[in-house]
Amino acid sequence: MVITSAGVTSGTWWRTTHDMDRAFYLGASMSMISMFGAGIAMGAPKLPVWVFMGDGAFVMNPGMLMVERDLDLPNLKHFLISNRVYNATGAVPLANAKRNDYAAIARAVGIERVFEVDSLEGLHSQFEKIVLEPGHTFTVLEVEPLREKPGGVPIDDVESKFRFGRYIERTAGIKIFRHPAPDPLNR
Amino acid sequence: MSDRQKEATSLIVEQLVQSGIKLVASLPDDWIAPLIHAIDTDERFKHVPVNREESAIGLCSGAYFGGIPSLALMGASGLMTCVYAITKINYSYHIPLFIFATLRGVIGDPRPHHISNGLYLTKLLDSISLPFLLVEERKTIGRIPAAFKHCQAMNRPEVVIFSEAVLLGEA
Repeated sequence: MVITSAGVTSGTWWRTTHDMDRAFYLGASMSMISMFGAGIAMGAPKLPVWVFMGDGAFVMNPGMLMVERDLDLPNLKHFLISNRVYNATGAVPLANAKRNDYAAIARAVGIERVFEVDSLEGLHSQFEKIVLEPGHTFTVLEVEPLREKPGGVPIDDVESKFRFGRYIERTAGIKIFRHPAPDPLNR
Repeated sequence: MSDRQKEATSLIVEQLVQSGIKLVASLPDDWIAPLIHAIDTDERFKHVPVNREESAIGLCSGAYFGGIPSLALMGASGLMTCVYAITKINYSYHIPLFIFATLRGVIGDPRPHHISNGLYLTKLLDSISLPFLLVEERKTIGRIPAAFKHCQAMNRPEVVIFSEAVLLGEA
């Protein structure tokens, strides 16, 4: 399952995957998706949970890493898309943009599996370690700012809740909603 | 902690158990520190200390999709900082969220830095149509499970706000 943040991560994931069931586009908020993902990961320990946030969201709540380390959820994979700007709002640079060392922050709170990737080759070579080996990971992806915004995600927020929730109910066997999913009508 | 406070704390904890809550994310103010300690040492709960109250909002909202009944436990000031998180996540996506907070800054609370909480907290909650249950008497503690159920049925956040006297076992 994938959770994306406000900013360009949601639009980018949608353009790449067109996934409306396994992805939750938490585009209405910044800085809370790793906690949101952690809540899901706790309840569905056999399902991998990937969260993608930009560094603009991350710097609003870097202390999230303390909670992530405390929880140490083996199925939670946190990806930080670092382009050093607020890409969705005019590509304005972040505070202290050139010096922020997000991987160092993660190591400083005791996260052990921290990865830094600045090329596709690097992502290929480390991908299995990051996502296929069990264990909480924090991965910084250094990228260039997008020149063109990817656009929005064509799904209403409440529809997203039910599509995502029903996917989790089916795959993890968890009861989320009051009523079970209706059987498909046979026509 | 006095015996009366221990009893009040224990009563609140039992109401959480009766509600089916399994996960508690907390950040303290001094009034709820004993309650946090009680939850932390109770094996019936997974207690997660958070770095800021918004993280509790995020964690408990995600826990909803993990099928884990949860509580975000915080002080009045912390709740005041959560308007963004609540209106963006829980209101937009219709995700229920159960919150405990403290009734700071009202008559009986002499701490000047809580004046704004006393003046504005409940007005703020009204202004964003966030239902709340004021627990100013011991007998109201028994309504916690009903408040939790209401929260789940409405698919919206709901807050239970405790007076100091109730938490001390003096009301």
